[in-house]
Amino acid sequence: MRLRFIKNITVFFFIALALLLAYIQCIQSPRYTELSRNNRIRLIPLPAPRGNVYDRNGKVLATSTLAFDCSVIPQEFESDKDKMIKLSSLLGLGRERIEDVIEKGSGAPFMASVLKKDIGKESAIAISEAILDFPGLIISTYPVRYYPYGNTCSHVLGHLGKISGEEIGVLKNYGYKTVDLVGRGGIELYYNNYLRGEDGGRQTEVDARGRQLDVLGIREPERGRDITLTIDIELERYIDSLLEGHRGAVAVMESSSGEMLALVSKPDFDPNIFVAADGTGAIRSLMRRRDYPLVNRAISGAYPPGSVFKIVTATAALEMEKINKKERLDCAGFYMLGNRRFNCWKKSGHGTQEITDGIKNSCNVFFYQIGRRAGVDGISQYALTYGFGAATGMDLPYEAAGIVPDKAWKRRRKKESWYEGDTVNYAIGQGYLLVTPAQLLRMANAVGTEGELFVPSLVKKISDVDIFAPEKKHTGISEDTFKIIKEGMRKAVEERGGTASGARVDGMDIAGKTGTAETGIERKTHAWFAGFSPVEKPKISLVIFLEYGGKGGAHPCSMASDIFKKLRGIGYL
Amino acid sequence: MYKIRYRKNFDPLLIILPLAICVIGLFFLYSASRGMQELKGMDFMSRQAAWILVGLLLLVLTINVDFRRILDWSYLYYFVIVLVLAALLAFGGSKMGARRWLNLGWIVFQPSEFSKLALILALAFYLGNNRFSARGLKTYIGAFLITGILFMLIVGEPDLGSAIALLPVLFAILLAAEAPFKFIFGSILLGAAASPMFWNFLKDYQKRRLLVFLNPDMDPLGAGYTIIQSKIAIGSGGLFGRGWMSGTQNQLNFLPERHTDFIFSVVGEEWGFMGSILVIGLFCLLIARILAVGERTNDFYGRLVVAGVAGLISFQAIVNIAMTAGFMPVVGLPLPFISYGGSSLITTWLCIALVINIDMRRTIF
Repeated sequence: MRLRFIKNITVFFFIALALLLAYIQCIQSPRYTELSRNNRIRLIPLPAPRGNVYDRNGKVLATSTLAFDCSVIPQEFESDKDKMIKLSSLLGLGRERIEDVIEKGSGAPFMASVLKKDIGKESAIAISEAILDFPGLIISTYPVRYYPYGNTCSHVLGHLGKISGEEIGVLKNYGYKTVDLVGRGGIELYYNNYLRGEDGGRQTEVDARGRQLDVLGIREPERGRDITLTIDIELERYIDSLLEGHRGAVAVMESSSGEMLALVSKPDFDPNIFVAADGTGAIRSLMRRRDYPLVNRAISGAYPPGSVFKIVTATAALEMEKINKKERLDCAGFYMLGNRRFNCWKKSGHGTQEITDGIKNSCNVFFYQIGRRAGVDGISQYALTYGFGAATGMDLPYEAAGIVPDKAWKRRRKKESWYEGDTVNYAIGQGYLLVTPAQLLRMANAVGTEGELFVPSLVKKISDVDIFAPEKKHTGISEDTFKIIKEGMRKAVEERGGTASGARVDGMDIAGKTGTAETGIERKTHAWFAGFSPVEKPKISLVIFLEYGGKGGAHPCSMASDIFKKLRGIGYL
Repeated sequence: MYKIRYRKNFDPLLIILPLAICVIGLFFLYSASRGMQELKGMDFMSRQAAWILVGLLLLVLTINVDFRRILDWSYLYYFVIVLVLAALLAFGGSKMGARRWLNLGWIVFQPSEFSKLALILALAFYLGNNRFSARGLKTYIGAFLITGILFMLIVGEPDLGSAIALLPVLFAILLAAEAPFKFIFGSILLGAAASPMFWNFLKDYQKRRLLVFLNPDMDPLGAGYTIIQSKIAIGSGGLFGRGWMSGTQNQLNFLPERHTDFIFSVVGEEWGFMGSILVIGLFCLLIARILAVGERTNDFYGRLVVAGVAGLISFQAIVNIAMTAGFMPVVGLPLPFISYGGSSLITTWLCIALVINIDMRRTIF
């Protein structure tokens, strides 16, 4: 009958179970008894090294070095008073502290509890020599993140930090443990899952002295994947030294691919302090500083661009056919809107100019006029086309989108309607407009390549796999417009009187635009320069931003000139 | 109230055996929880004892009701459980990364346990109604569907163990319903062939558990740790064990979860092979007595319920013990009557109650 069948199956399995239990409880018993009786089982985690980060030429930007911990296995630890004194002096720790750690660790008596982290090689050697006197004491090695270039490239690389409570709740099933370090900011964060290896572990049987007898189980740690950046560290270091003492950002891009050759933000920080054993004080003061050194100004800072934005205004006016190559407009040093007076930066005015001269001289009055012709919505449309108002998509976290205002925006945010005066300000890159240096770089590059809007990229390879594929979008703006704007930008640098003539380099062919943005603080303006070289088929585009740096034509241009020379020197131009 | 006639048909072993197992369980819970007192602050033994009393109370209450009347509402219980499981998936908070528990203030309630009982009733009712077409493929597939819905809801929690426990219930009841053997073998073969596909649906840590079973040395600090420690505990018990409350592996906190899924390692360590045989023997006897009820009764539905209960209890017991001894991968299945857990205890007692109910109402003719 069917039920008998069920009974037979069930009884069969029970008997099989009983036999198997007989095997381990009767026949194998002595072995297991031995294991448990002496309680000599050790659990040693084998941490996995994190992947390295290299620059485009293979130089090491982030790697791991070995550090030593001194730990104790509470189950095995035996000591008397004299030994404790000796141990205390070897470690440089008070006796109560040692006893405290041992007591707290008794909850998991086979796991090593850390007595002192990062004890240094000499200490490690000294303790190892005495280790037979201290059963249960072990020196374990573990990898510590090391950034050989210190402050340089710190914003791109990011740093590490301990995993937080909420993160562990989510990530526990994926193997993250409460003591894990995860990337915070920069490439360390963005590519954390690739850089992170997989920890291993070992369960061993040891004798009374702590010497290993038998490995009960082992899992090898798996190294994280290495990442190769597009950054050239020599260029990065050079720019770093140029920016010394300033606040701001510089970004350099390879025009035909969107690869970032350098990305510098000042002030910066030394990521090594985040993994130093005693770094807490330094970290805290870093976070309290009012100049916010942990913010990557190149992508997370949104600022008024000032005159650099005139490129967008010009694009709008040309595309919308509100102005052409030949038309000349007059600048007398000021512009009247109703009974409100808007000044040009040159009090005596520029006289009549056509558009390329308007760009060369960065004439405000010229742009007030064509900006009004294009209208706020016209300018905004082209601003969006150039990629403003949205993150560039670079592979770094915390990118800001900036603000591209229009009539609807103002009504929503400021509960007011848009005034003509706002358009006038907007046309010269002031007002509600906010952009990041990365967005401006992209815009300059788009002009240089006559229409290609790239996603800037920082990573060339993961392990040995080339992952870089240029991602670009065509702006749909006409070739003629670009030719006109380029001519204006070329004149600005190459011709005498151009606002960007400070960027000129003998024997090179450079186009650029300066910007001096009012910030609302008296006499403190942001200084900008964006440009590319060579003018016809550019190889390099760059942007320079100096927070409260004065006039665009001053420092940014001289820095640009130096950077272009350096680029020539190392072979990019 | 029930007639005196019914009382005579009662097999006392059906209460004595589970109770004996429960009491043994209490002894080991006490021993296991001693080391844990400081950590958890809960008195496992008293709570478990309280749940046992609740179970007995429910048993006394339900045997007053004819089981056929209980069966009539099977689809309702099934529906309610499906709703609760669905709600759990949608809204349940997460404890240890799994949505298995519903926290109702002072008690924590595990719906997947009750779903096992609901399945027994639903399948018995369904296959009992379609008795003569039980040989038909359509009915067969219907049974799979009923099980499948619950299976998917539970696996989504994720609770692989409870979901898997539904399968022996399904097959036991199908067998008892005289489904053709060829269907049964056919579906087992199909399942075996399709199982590589299911691999992809497992979460990483569940995959790891299966791999670790095949090679516990592979993950000695994680999932493999528990298995290795449990094996050591059981193995070191020897023939007679190390004595109650003297198991060093468990007293010294080497075994996490020793009050729930791994409780058998405490049995093995402290009472040795004798203890293991005792527990296995008691279960074996219990299953035999349960199945004997099925042979005695002439109610078809009753026979199906009996088969389901026998399948459930024996599967859980066998798998749990095999798991703690390292013969099977770690899945979350409790040892009936012994593992700490109110929901499991109540469910199993209710199963016993049903079996007694069926036995009491059998007709001699």
